[in-house]
Amino acid sequence: MTLNGWLQILVYCLCVLLVAKPLGIYLVRVYDGSLTWLGPIERAVYRVCGVDATEDQHWTRYAGGMLLFSVASMLLTYLVLRLQAVLPLNPQHLAAVPDRQAFETSASFTTNTNWQSYGGESVMSYFSQMTQLAFHNFVSAAVGIAVAVAFVRGIARKSAGRVGNFWVDLTRGTLYVLLPMSIILALMFVQQGVIQNFRPYADVVTLEGAKQAIAMGPVASQEAIKQLGTNGGGFFNANAAHPFENPTPWSNFWSMFAIFMIPSALTYLLGRMVRNQKHGWAVWTAMFVLFVGGVSTAYWAEARGNPIHAARGVDLATSATNPGGNMEGKEVRFGIANSALYATITTDASCGAVNSMHDSFTPLGGLVPLANIQLGEVVFGGVGAGLYGMLVMVVLTVFIAGLMVGRTPEYLGKKIQAREIQMAMLYVLIFPAAILTMSAISALLPAGLQGLNNAGPHGLSEILYAFSSTAANNGSAFAGLTGTTYYYNTMLGLNTLIGRFAMMVPMLALAGFLAEKRIVPESAGTFPVTTPLFVVLLVSVVVIVGALTFFPALALGPVVEHLLMGAGKLF
Amino acid sequence: MATEGRSMLDLVYVLGTLAFFTLMLAYVRACAALGRVESRNVERSAADLP
Repeated sequence: MTLNGWLQILVYCLCVLLVAKPLGIYLVRVYDGSLTWLGPIERAVYRVCGVDATEDQHWTRYAGGMLLFSVASMLLTYLVLRLQAVLPLNPQHLAAVPDRQAFETSASFTTNTNWQSYGGESVMSYFSQMTQLAFHNFVSAAVGIAVAVAFVRGIARKSAGRVGNFWVDLTRGTLYVLLPMSIILALMFVQQGVIQNFRPYADVVTLEGAKQAIAMGPVASQEAIKQLGTNGGGFFNANAAHPFENPTPWSNFWSMFAIFMIPSALTYLLGRMVRNQKHGWAVWTAMFVLFVGGVSTAYWAEARGNPIHAARGVDLATSATNPGGNMEGKEVRFGIANSALYATITTDASCGAVNSMHDSFTPLGGLVPLANIQLGEVVFGGVGAGLYGMLVMVVLTVFIAGLMVGRTPEYLGKKIQAREIQMAMLYVLIFPAAILTMSAISALLPAGLQGLNNAGPHGLSEILYAFSSTAANNGSAFAGLTGTTYYYNTMLGLNTLIGRFAMMVPMLALAGFLAEKRIVPESAGTFPVTTPLFVVLLVSVVVIVGALTFFPALALGPVVEHLLMGAGKLF
Repeated sequence: MATEGRSMLDLVYVLGTLAFFTLMLAYVRACAALGRVESRNVERSAADLP
């Protein structure tokens, strides 16, 4: 580890802290409807779509709208991918996307997962990338923020189960937040050298005389929303390790910053909307503590390197001419600190963009992204998804605190009773049930094992990572697992749908149930949700719930691999 | 034959997607119903208190 590396991590943390308040205030104004600088466009959208913007929807109607919008847009994407060969903007004359991949991709992008079992440059036409994948990058992110805001409204008000208007939240999130920010970020990426064109691929002759096709395309515009919307699906197969997608240390920094900007600001929105700013900062602090723990572990493990390499004479010490540590699978222009930081950020959030190969991390370094995903991606998390995931943990925390002191738990003046806990437990249990069941089936079936390129605990980690990543709507791959089969395309596509919608529904139900309750004044027995004790308890609940659920599987994967690495065995 | 098989798979994926979302809509109703039942139980137990 180097001072330079730590300083870069520190600067990043400061930026994430500093953006929370100004962007948070902007988000509050977007979702309370007071911001109107794009009013004419907004009203035109409502008129064309037949939306009654004044309707305050019951949570069931809000959830119904979200589901209908998702199924319609998913089926449209499936259709376009299957017909891309006859659609315009296809200068490479790429064939139709195979049925299994079209299903997985449409499910994956609809759910903000962006798991990709294809190389973007060799499978997707410009038309598919721009009209479908980029479209989902915007709207799936806007849906996530909308659900988080609906949840916060549920906490903040007494409104007979009404949590806002899904169509208004979706439109305003896209129009006022994601589109303007993406345009600015895309221009910054172009300035750094990210390409943006519609040219056919360039055919060049290499120095060795071989012919090579250099992929082109409208990359910068997709890259911006891919990061801001915590989508993560790369234009190119190599994702953010590709020099046309992430060419410089600055583009790398903007990419990482863009992932955490909105999730960090949403904690401020929470505080402002529930009229308890200290609570917003307490949630931010809990997220930050978990983030620092993850990035420190990943950086330490990767900078320490592989002792087997050292035993064979590889110099692992850092010097002016040697990065040291474990550089396998890492871009030299980013180095260990920025690879460990990127891997932690992208899996804390449900982004999934990668600038290094997580499969090539040391066992403990690779455990960090896997564990981040399995904690439910509540550490800042995906846009919206991170906040509502963390708020479920907050509900569980106040419930446990209430049990400890023998009082009916309260959260910001709302009594937490049986039905709220039932919804919270549905949210908490569906996630591991999907991951562990599907991983176990895949570890037993020949179709599941056929996709493996590594044996032993590393192979198990690859399967576990794939199902964790898709259920958590992350989308990053550990690599090493061949996912382009009917079995994996179908199972992983289904897993993205379960991980998104089977968890969003109880979340909205919980919001609706909270919105039905009257707000009781705080008393001496109310557990305060603004203190360091609350932060410690919240962090403990997140870690303990994650550990109790996934530790046995992790013990069979990266933990045993780490112990075997110490004994001189690699996988 | 191969084309027919492919069309069948397209149909399976599309119908499977529709079935999943129909199930999710039923899930919304089930959660709402569970909430109503629990709400009545809470009111009843509160009414039982002296």
